[in-house]
Amino acid sequence: MTQFVQTLILGVLVGGVYALLASGLTLIFGVMRVINIAHGAFLILAAFLTYSIWRATGLDPLASIVFTTPVMFAFGWVLYVTAVRRIRGAHMSSSVLLTFALALVVEGLLGVIWGNTSHSVRPAYFNESFTIGKLFLPKAQVYGFVLAALVLAALYAILTWTWLGRAIRASAVNPQGAALVGVNVGGVAALAFAVGVAATGAGGSIASVLYPFLPGSHYDWIARLLAIVVLGGLGSLPGAAIGAIVLGVAEAMTVTYISPSWATAVPYVIIFVVLLVRPQGLLGARLREDVAPA
Amino acid sequence: MGTKSGRLGAMAIAGALAFGVAACGGGSDSSGGTSTSGANAKPLRIGASLPLTGEFSEPGKAAQQGYKVWQDTINAKGGLLGRKVQLVIKDDASNQNTVVSDYNALISNDKVDLLLGTFSSLLNLPASAVAERARMLYVEPAGGNPDIFSRGYKMIFFSQQATADHQGDVWANWLVGLPADKKPKTAAYPTLDDPFAAPTSAGIEKILKAGGIQTVYRKTYTADTKNFDAIANAVKAKNPDLVVAGNQFEDGVGLLRAFGKAGFSPKWLYQTNAPSFGDQYAQGVGAANTEGVFYGVSHSQEAKTPGNEEFVAKYKQMFGGENVPEDAADAYAAAEVLQATVEANKTVEKADQLKLADWLRGNSVDTILGPLSWNENGSPKGQFLVGQWQGGKPEIVLPQDAATSDTIVEGYKPAGQ
Repeated sequence: MTQFVQTLILGVLVGGVYALLASGLTLIFGVMRVINIAHGAFLILAAFLTYSIWRATGLDPLASIVFTTPVMFAFGWVLYVTAVRRIRGAHMSSSVLLTFALALVVEGLLGVIWGNTSHSVRPAYFNESFTIGKLFLPKAQVYGFVLAALVLAALYAILTWTWLGRAIRASAVNPQGAALVGVNVGGVAALAFAVGVAATGAGGSIASVLYPFLPGSHYDWIARLLAIVVLGGLGSLPGAAIGAIVLGVAEAMTVTYISPSWATAVPYVIIFVVLLVRPQGLLGARLREDVAPA
Repeated sequence: MGTKSGRLGAMAIAGALAFGVAACGGGSDSSGGTSTSGANAKPLRIGASLPLTGEFSEPGKAAQQGYKVWQDTINAKGGLLGRKVQLVIKDDASNQNTVVSDYNALISNDKVDLLLGTFSSLLNLPASAVAERARMLYVEPAGGNPDIFSRGYKMIFFSQQATADHQGDVWANWLVGLPADKKPKTAAYPTLDDPFAAPTSAGIEKILKAGGIQTVYRKTYTADTKNFDAIANAVKAKNPDLVVAGNQFEDGVGLLRAFGKAGFSPKWLYQTNAPSFGDQYAQGVGAANTEGVFYGVSHSQEAKTPGNEEFVAKYKQMFGGENVPEDAADAYAAAEVLQATVEANKTVEKADQLKLADWLRGNSVDTILGPLSWNENGSPKGQFLVGQWQGGKPEIVLPQDAATSDTIVEGYKPAGQ
């Protein structure tokens, strides 16, 4: 029983970290209909920034979010204006090609700047845990879980209650209509993309504590994160959070009760099941395609 | 009519797949090598493809450094057979498909005179098939999977002391020879699904089982495993005295960190590969958590083998740092093996490559790893060194004539234990 509860706890906590890593992707992919294959590379970039700040100042990686988030925001904005904007009118598959190219460029640059060797950030708590009776809760995962909740809540609040959020959603659903009522569609899209990339500031910082990383590490992340977004339902931030936790728990249970070698199949099994049974995802809404202009 | 989100979901999968497929072709060519102006004859070109980016970039970079140190050393002495040596190094991005096209290109487009191997069994397995087909001598600095040598190939030689399944022999035999009150009774084997780590772990288990150490956990995980907490928790639940972790680098660091988080430290710990990464390993797991970790290793900086001192000095001069990575030394040794047979036979002609291989089958070569000799199938006949982290530093503890430390720390003793 202890084993089961412990596995459940580990799964939920890892799910929290997944949710944090996927949060920006959900925004960009779900709301803007841009499939950002470079999201993993942006996470690794944020992890390297965190590493440099930690090495130079000894600042706690979680505190360095204050610096990495604005940097990633600016980076996202520049990328949108210089590259992503040009494919907004094109078919969605163009965004796969473009962002894959971006991922390769970022990976290459990371290699030039930081080198193709493994890096780790080790604050004092990197291998410590909170313990409750016989159970342990790894501190970094707990912080990641809390951060995920905060970042997702902030994104949700922005999308739901602010003018910017309504403008983002309006221009995603019907750009012409949004423009008619005075929304600067181009500017709003740039902001939305930048906010999505900025969320990797927090994700990268916690990932840098949890996992050793090198420029090529982003390959390991992107398929898993896309699985979470599809599972949760496109455009649904609470859905992404639930999807991430389902995936985290499913992986942990598979590792403990079946075999670690099957854990790698879990995201794909989940995607197939979701697309067969509930193609809109757990919390996604069914949209009629015939009324929404492409 | 489908729903928009359904179609988007399919698009996401298509995106992920496209990404995976494209990543497979992610190799980029980069020709290394120094200028050879001033040499009388045409430079002698030696081709290799290395994982300079991607999953194996860590050892790939070290191997490249090793080859370059050898290139500089031999060119300073007038070259090989009087010709300057020029390395042609390509990046295979840690990808099995790319490494095949790289070696094909080296042979048919670049028309290199000689080949050197790549890093890790995973990549050497397909790459050596290309060399075999072209009847080119193929000395590999890494790639100890026993299956590599069971294919009846004539051109492949492994320039370390033993194949992976024998990497832990010396250590395992030492451990089962301990007095009963010290000897561990139970062992767990979490192992990466990898052609190097898996046979190493299996080879150790065979000896320990025969020596009366019971296996209580044996599970394999895949290379993309990121979260080791659940694995650590499952191992902890079995409470083994000994953990033999079949690791490469990142997973080795991840697993040890997860043990820390789970509040678990086995009485004994052996890791197959990660601890041989020197500073990188200490930085990854924290130097205080390395005390007493055992590992198998091919090279020691302090070894009194011929040319070792010169190699270590030259490496530090060219690339800095305190510790010379094992993979750089292995690559250097591979080049030494190639050099020995070329100098003995005085030829690099394509038609003579089998002669170069046959010479290696009949002779022993002195390298910085010690003397190497081979079986008919190109697998080496020697034995690995046993390393152990002591006081935040990697030391050689077995066999005794190669030891750099007088003591063997009995058991794993991380910070606070």
